[in-house]
Amino acid sequence: MTVSPPFVAAHPPHPDFNAMTDAEFRTCVREFVQTNYPDIPRFAQRRLRWPEVSPWYAILAEKGWIAPTWPQNLGGMGLEASKHLILIEEYERHGCARVHDIGTVMLGPLLMQYGTQDQQDLYLPRILRGEDVWAQGYSEPGAGSDLAALRTEALRDGDTWVINGQKTWVTLGADANMVFVLARTDKTVKKQAGISFLLVPMDADGVTVRPIENLEGHAEFCEIFFDNVRIPLGNIVGEVNQGWSMAKALLGHERVFIGAPRLSANALARLEAIARREGLWHDPAFRDRFAVLAMDLADLTDLFESYVQRLRDGTPIGPDVGTLKIFQSELYQRISEEMMMISGSLAGMKIGDDGDRQMDAAGTFLAARPTTIFGGSTEVMRNVLARGSLGLPK
Amino acid sequence: MTTQSEEWAENIRMLVESAGAVVPEDGSLDRIRAARHQAPGFERDVWSTMGEMGWLAILSNEDVGGLGLGLREAVALCAVLGRGLVPEPAVSALHAIRLTEQAGAVPQDALTGDIVMVAAWQSSPLSLEPSKGVELTDGTLSGTKIAVDGGTGADVFAVTTPQGLVLVPRDAAGLTSTAIPMHDGTICAELHFDRVAATSLPCPDVDNPLYEAMLLHAGYLMGVSEQAFEITLDYLRVRKQFDVPIGSFQALQHRATEIKVQLELARAAIHAAATALDHKAEATVAQMSVLRARTRAGGLARLVAREAVQMHGAIGYTDEADIGLYTRKVMVAAGQYGSDAPLRSQFMALRETVRDQQGACA
Repeated sequence: MTVSPPFVAAHPPHPDFNAMTDAEFRTCVREFVQTNYPDIPRFAQRRLRWPEVSPWYAILAEKGWIAPTWPQNLGGMGLEASKHLILIEEYERHGCARVHDIGTVMLGPLLMQYGTQDQQDLYLPRILRGEDVWAQGYSEPGAGSDLAALRTEALRDGDTWVINGQKTWVTLGADANMVFVLARTDKTVKKQAGISFLLVPMDADGVTVRPIENLEGHAEFCEIFFDNVRIPLGNIVGEVNQGWSMAKALLGHERVFIGAPRLSANALARLEAIARREGLWHDPAFRDRFAVLAMDLADLTDLFESYVQRLRDGTPIGPDVGTLKIFQSELYQRISEEMMMISGSLAGMKIGDDGDRQMDAAGTFLAARPTTIFGGSTEVMRNVLARGSLGLPK
Repeated sequence: MTTQSEEWAENIRMLVESAGAVVPEDGSLDRIRAARHQAPGFERDVWSTMGEMGWLAILSNEDVGGLGLGLREAVALCAVLGRGLVPEPAVSALHAIRLTEQAGAVPQDALTGDIVMVAAWQSSPLSLEPSKGVELTDGTLSGTKIAVDGGTGADVFAVTTPQGLVLVPRDAAGLTSTAIPMHDGTICAELHFDRVAATSLPCPDVDNPLYEAMLLHAGYLMGVSEQAFEITLDYLRVRKQFDVPIGSFQALQHRATEIKVQLELARAAIHAAATALDHKAEATVAQMSVLRARTRAGGLARLVAREAVQMHGAIGYTDEADIGLYTRKVMVAAGQYGSDAPLRSQFMALRETVRDQQGACA
């Protein structure tokens, strides 16, 4: 696959965003978005593919805004969580497409914590410039909820790792030129103790990609096959066999952000729009159900902010974060189900990119399905909570 | 320099430590069990201790003899009282004290615990409107207030009326008090006022003290829920059937985690509401936050109550097992200071107000 030409990363020095008042920062973001958002879809219900979304990535990269939470000395905006929330809210208000963010959200912070200086110097600027688009290679056909059972194997041969195996459910994998992979590097120890974290170029010999169409009809994720793929020995983050603990640290962060109220908030606004259109807004039965959802959303926001505060304070995120992930994903689904219930015969109407996506009940229902599956299924999260947090026996 | 957040955290730590004076640290419920169904449903000497500890003065300004602490501290204290199922009507008393503070007439002996002063604010079971139920005409008070917690043992009632606040001694001519036994062993009062001689005190805002009390009660419910949940988790860990602890069964584990989810939500919502009140957030915003916190705490408590009985099995349905004391408490407390239907409709009403204001600004 080809990646667009590198984006300019040289931008004027940032102000101290955190020193701005919330209102000042909000105005600053809003004006930037209104002036600069390119001519690409807004309020898209699906993830835009790289050729569609790369103009927006380029604009953010040029502005120096592609990595909101990275420190400024590494090319980020250095935003604290409350400012980051405002940034997200303003992007949402305008309906900005989500850019490919595995590099900025997942790999970048991992490299900052565990990567060598050389790895940071090489990969961080390439992410900032959009030269590398990363994908995450975790799940396998036989290792979903039981991720540590993964079988993709990396064997050392002189100064290379030789990788054989298969990854699946790789979100936007067909757009990526790089993938990070959890691979088994020791079969003789407990399954969690023999896993390493490897960095693999997608154009290496022996890498094959097969797109998979999801329930919404989009080829958003894919399978990746590794057939004697050779990568340099140095393409490993952390020590050999340390991959599991690093992957778990990443998942903790991921679960906070999957727990963000954004998706449910959007869906609730659409539910209100449908109810008003269908004349149900003043129906007492509907209003009571709506009140439950609205109060759930507001409570979720309070819980989310308490976790954001923990991230800000550097307090470790323990297994309790599962409560956030479980509740947000189930709330999103409950709202989407209510949308289906009040949309009647038009619930299943297919709405394209140009249609009124506010009314897309079935699209929302489908979009809400994977949130209880990815990033740790609800059932696995509950197992983890029961043992790790409540101390119930195995 | 200690930051503000460290200061309230430290205050809370000290309060929770001091609570051992009333709530036994070993979790013993012997006192609670013995005091059930005995008039007036609580103990005066414990009340005095609570006064000596300064708990009744926790929210009041220092210039009227209070500790001047915030809702975050007071909520934490109420949670400890909930954990111990303390039947003394602390929330109702704090409500009454805040009302008299509004009126600029805090009785010092109420702050110190020398007398019991409780709030008579509610006119009907679903009402959240404290001015309803009574009328003040020609210097006399008439009407009815219901569900007065601790009412059978109170010395003074702080009665909310459309014309302000009225303090009525329990032996006032024209006041009839009917004792209402409750399932948790406490005894509420229904008060009938028949031309009781009364002077009204100006009380510019009867709502704010009510919302504070709703939040304190949410804290109490959270404490009840936390302790009932911990007792149940202990039981799941030790009770064996089929040669294994029943807590190893995934069906029970997943249900237990739902309680954990609701508990975390309640904790976050209560903390956010207390912070909003402490920071003097805009009234509508703070009230919506309190309505949520109170709703969540009630739902949590009912969830814990029914799961606790079911997970304990037959022993959970006996009077001798302590878990039943928690279930009975929830049956009573989940409906006090708000219940789901009025809390939700009030939330929706305020939500529209906020929307209208935002629309007007835009």
